[in-house]
Amino acid sequence: MSRADAVTRILFEAFPAAEVRLFYVLGYAAIAAFAYGAYVQVRKYRRGAALALDGGLARRLGDMAALVLTHRTIERRDPAAGRAHRLIFYGFALLFLGTATITLQYDILDPLFGVRFWQGGFYLIFSLVLDVAGVALVGGLIYMMYRRGWLRPPKLDYARPDRAPGDPDFDRPQYRREDWAFLWTLVVIGLTGYVLEAARLVWLQARPDVWDTRWWSPVGALLAESFRALGMTDHAGGTLRHGLWWFHGLIALLFIALIPATKVKHIFTAAASLMVRDPLAAQRLPRIPESQAQPGVRTITDFNWKQLLNLDACTKCGRCHEACPARAVGAPLSPRDVILSLREFARATLESGKIPQAAELDVHGKAPGQVAQETLWSCRTCMACVEICPVAVEHVPIIVQMRRKLVEDGAMDPLLTKTLQTIHKTGNSFGESKRKRAAWTKSLPFPVKDARKEPVDVLWFVGDYASFDPRNQKVTQTFATLLHEAGVDFGILYEAESNAGNDVRRVGEEGLYEVLANANVAALAGATFKTIVTTDPHSYNTIRNEYPDFGGTYRIQHYTTFLKQLFAEGRLRVTSPLSYRTTFHDPCHLGRFNQGYDAPRDILALLGCELVEMTRNRSNSFCCGAGGGRIWIPDPVGSEKPAQNRIKEAAAIPDLQVYVVSCPKDLTMFEDALKTTGNEGRFVVRELIELIREALPAPRAEEATA
Amino acid sequence: MKILVAVKQVAALDEDFEFTPDGRDVDPDFLIRDLNEWDDFALEEAVKIKEASSTPVEVVALSVGPDGADEILRKCLAKGADRAVRVWDDAVAGSDPIAIARIIAAAVRREAPGLVFAGVQSSDQSYASTGIATAAFLDWPHAAVVSQLTYAPGAATAVFRRELEGGLLHEVEIPCPAVFTIQLGINTPRYASLRSIKQAAAKPIELMSPAELGLDSAQIGEAGSASRVRRMYVPEKGRAQLIEGNAAAQAARLAAIIREFKGEGA
Amino acid sequence: MSGVLIVAEQRRGELRAHSLELITAAQELRRAGETVSVAVLAQAPAAFVPALSLSGVDEIIGIQVAAEEFDPDAFEGAVAALIAARKPDVVLIPHSVDSFGYAAALAAKQGYGFASDVFDARRIDGALVATRGGYGQKVSVEVDFPGRSTVLLALRGNAFKPPEQPAAPTVTAFEAPPTASRWKARQFIELAAGDDVDMTGAEFILTVGRGIGEEANVAKFRELADAVGATLGCSRPIADAGWLPKSRQVGQSGKTASACKLYVAMGVSGAIQHLAGMKHVGTIVAVNTDANASIFSVAKYGIVGDIFEIADELRRLF
Repeated sequence: MSRADAVTRILFEAFPAAEVRLFYVLGYAAIAAFAYGAYVQVRKYRRGAALALDGGLARRLGDMAALVLTHRTIERRDPAAGRAHRLIFYGFALLFLGTATITLQYDILDPLFGVRFWQGGFYLIFSLVLDVAGVALVGGLIYMMYRRGWLRPPKLDYARPDRAPGDPDFDRPQYRREDWAFLWTLVVIGLTGYVLEAARLVWLQARPDVWDTRWWSPVGALLAESFRALGMTDHAGGTLRHGLWWFHGLIALLFIALIPATKVKHIFTAAASLMVRDPLAAQRLPRIPESQAQPGVRTITDFNWKQLLNLDACTKCGRCHEACPARAVGAPLSPRDVILSLREFARATLESGKIPQAAELDVHGKAPGQVAQETLWSCRTCMACVEICPVAVEHVPIIVQMRRKLVEDGAMDPLLTKTLQTIHKTGNSFGESKRKRAAWTKSLPFPVKDARKEPVDVLWFVGDYASFDPRNQKVTQTFATLLHEAGVDFGILYEAESNAGNDVRRVGEEGLYEVLANANVAALAGATFKTIVTTDPHSYNTIRNEYPDFGGTYRIQHYTTFLKQLFAEGRLRVTSPLSYRTTFHDPCHLGRFNQGYDAPRDILALLGCELVEMTRNRSNSFCCGAGGGRIWIPDPVGSEKPAQNRIKEAAAIPDLQVYVVSCPKDLTMFEDALKTTGNEGRFVVRELIELIREALPAPRAEEATA
Repeated sequence: MKILVAVKQVAALDEDFEFTPDGRDVDPDFLIRDLNEWDDFALEEAVKIKEASSTPVEVVALSVGPDGADEILRKCLAKGADRAVRVWDDAVAGSDPIAIARIIAAAVRREAPGLVFAGVQSSDQSYASTGIATAAFLDWPHAAVVSQLTYAPGAATAVFRRELEGGLLHEVEIPCPAVFTIQLGINTPRYASLRSIKQAAAKPIELMSPAELGLDSAQIGEAGSASRVRRMYVPEKGRAQLIEGNAAAQAARLAAIIREFKGEGA
Repeated sequence: MSGVLIVAEQRRGELRAHSLELITAAQELRRAGETVSVAVLAQAPAAFVPALSLSGVDEIIGIQVAAEEFDPDAFEGAVAALIAARKPDVVLIPHSVDSFGYAAALAAKQGYGFASDVFDARRIDGALVATRGGYGQKVSVEVDFPGRSTVLLALRGNAFKPPEQPAAPTVTAFEAPPTASRWKARQFIELAAGDDVDMTGAEFILTVGRGIGEEANVAKFRELADAVGATLGCSRPIADAGWLPKSRQVGQSGKTASACKLYVAMGVSGAIQHLAGMKHVGTIVAVNTDANASIFSVAKYGIVGDIFEIADELRRLF
């Protein structure tokens, strides 16, 4: 019958029944292998510690679907890879859906209910769509091969910064082999699919319902025409089709069976990882549950199931490796390699029937799969890795939780140990008496209200560096003067303020953090205010995101949004616009951590400055290197510091006059780096507050000397 | 065997401190307290011996001080001490090192350890006497300024090196039980995380009074001391002549001083 | 009870200079008609008579002991016996590593009045009053010894100038009852020179302390020291941390820089142990960010500033 609505493809056409049965046996075997493999993986995750997720499953599913379908996280900072992966993803997804559709009719709806839909017009459009999908898939894959083999971006170099050439796991050739095997296998499946299609067309060229509709499978048809032109007979086509069918089928089934054991599983693990992500992973670190005996992570099973899942979601894309400031200056840390090491470790220990003894599960050390102390201590907790990871791996909490164990063991640099003891004793990292915290107020010509004693509108949480460091004290005094001139009713906590604890927590001294957080929350509870303002991004982050876990929830702003508001309200007015050529360094804890990118830029525009962005700006800002407690850990002799790397980046801007920062630690680090990179005299480092002061000079001459 | 480590909670002066009305001490509100730095090394040495030993060794931290001293004893428990004992009652106030040593000696008699460690001196009053005076009350062999110690728990002797002036070491063999005062740098004291200190708070600190140790009021406090404080005051400090100016100007003056010293002229 | 007794200190055949300073201190305490005697314990005490024949000394008492070097049991036994025989009311000894090992034991056992690290001693209305430091040397404390017939004082080094005029005191011997020594001395060990530096002969020393922050910064100051012609020294924390060899440590327990005339201390706070070793130096220049650092009270010149900036500026000038 030659009715158009009956056009379809007869499955297993001309196959002996035994072969069909064999195929089904193999098919079920492949699915069983897949299921078992999946079970082993899920069992591995369940061997981790428990974790309760917040937020509804439906909302998480929706968010994940949006991320996956838009590919937003993959195209960031690498649009070419984003496009190619989109092609592969949609191509593969469509092809998979196609096969599922066929299975749905052939194995379920038709035999059980006699329903057939895969025919006629639907069938033709279906064929076209899948042909296009195949082109997309193969095209994307070929681009990826070109990228990997020809372009060779540095982030795909698997050499580890914490190993030397010659070490067993230095550059992991097995990863490269697996990557290429994956690419080739899919390409072969794709290409053989087309050849198979063409072979069938040649074989059935005598049938009008096949041959006349061949252009609905354009690639197949093109190939079929070429085959015919080369002399292929319909008989030859049939033979080719039969053989190739088995070849294509077997590879595909093998592919499916091996998914849980290969990189291909990222289809599931990446999606799952995106679904269980914590958008505040690095900004709000987890508390140690009371029930937990040992703080931090010592064994692989101390990680929770989400972290074990994260390990498997990693596709070795290298974006975190590329973004990491420690790695960029040669420190023995690559966030990618922390994840991959732990992944290999989990694979080696948690995928068999029995879990080895606790002693063999220790993830700290220098053996393959373990993470060394130097690696963990190199981290600046700047969250560049977490922020850019397309599959929502949360590296920073993993590193911090491993650090908690190191702290418990006292395995720290002596200077860090001393600083922690100093903070415990005096409440600040400078070792100064508590009474000296507000010493900077003494030289001001006006009194600063004591928020412990009287209510204020704005409670200004000053922070350690801003209070005790002489260079930063000048900025603090300038800010106080600006607030005073704007008529803001503000006060500070004087001696009742302690180090906010952000970096203490990120070092891994959770016990000391709890002491500090509780002390500050208690001090704030004793004060009456409407909002908190801080000049310190580290304090801003922890008060905003982490203090709620300690019973302290407040309205808090960084000074940039607060001052911008004052400008908008006319309480501050630029009277003497600046025309500097500036660049702005986004502080990690304000920008990447809390999306505070715009206010500082708006202020610079208000001041009349010309802003030239550095290449690495906003969410890609390059950390000054002081975070994660690194300001309390000496850098190795002779190495480049992240701040120097960053200043050199700024120095590449022609005629740059001012390098603008809005964080006390940034000010300290970059003024130092300006000198040590030999750029002193070429441009200056200024706090935004200082530029604001310059643009609205003090009303009276006497105050100008304050 | 048991090692007893005598530890002291020392006090440092806070900003703008004031004296007590009788002018013999500083107002306690202006004192910042912490574990004596030397005692940190002494405790670490004891814990190291315990950890290296194949036979059980008990480390007992002992302090003569009021309630506040529990804080440093807790730190010692967090750092590896097995037990902590504090001795106090109001009659102890005003004791000098000799009186304190008498109390420590009484506690040592009760505990019967095989070794007693103390710090060479305290960072606040720097008497460098308490440990050695304790040895005299016990009539035990003693050595001060120990910068290296070799001892096998239960052995009859120990070998130590004491650190002399001019960078010289004196190596001596001494019979045990003995009293050692431990010098800085003998080891690297471990860090006690706040969590471990908090957990140590669950361990009891035994509180004793001097009477329970068999001491009467004539043996402790001012009555039992070998000296008495008449007055405490801030001395007129010989003040350095400050060189003013910016860094360049200051460095220039310093260079001039150096050149003058070398006879090269300013 | 009368007279002042000094117990001198010797080591490896040499009289320690600290002992001579006590002679000056004794003159302040001597009452009319009283004698100042100096006792020296050694295997051959006569050898030290010439060094002790100084103005202010009335008598040199030689006590022969079996121990070649310092031994607490021997010292405690002999000195206690001497004090019981001669009954001085004041006994002066150096506040030194040796005296750390026996002074308090002697005072405790015999019930003497006792104070250590004393830098001033005088009689006020007939009573003996000693002055020492308190709370990390930030305050001064005056102590007295009510009801004690004998007072033992350990005096700080470099607090008194030794006498220069020679004299011819009487020389006597005292036979101490034999005391069983529990120590078995083995050997002296010189700390490995490390980098062959001779701190004892150095006249110009530039010392770095905790203020330099990290090990990586040592190189800058080493280079600066070379440039200005100084020998590089360090305070105890730096040596303990291994950033410089122990041979470069200056201070009470480090190399005594006795020949030093110009001392520049950068980032050194002036903890008591360090100060004790350097107080004799003619010109001390201290550079520190903390205007309240103890070192400014012993230094002749002070710079309150950033040691790295000063180092950079200074380097430019040489």
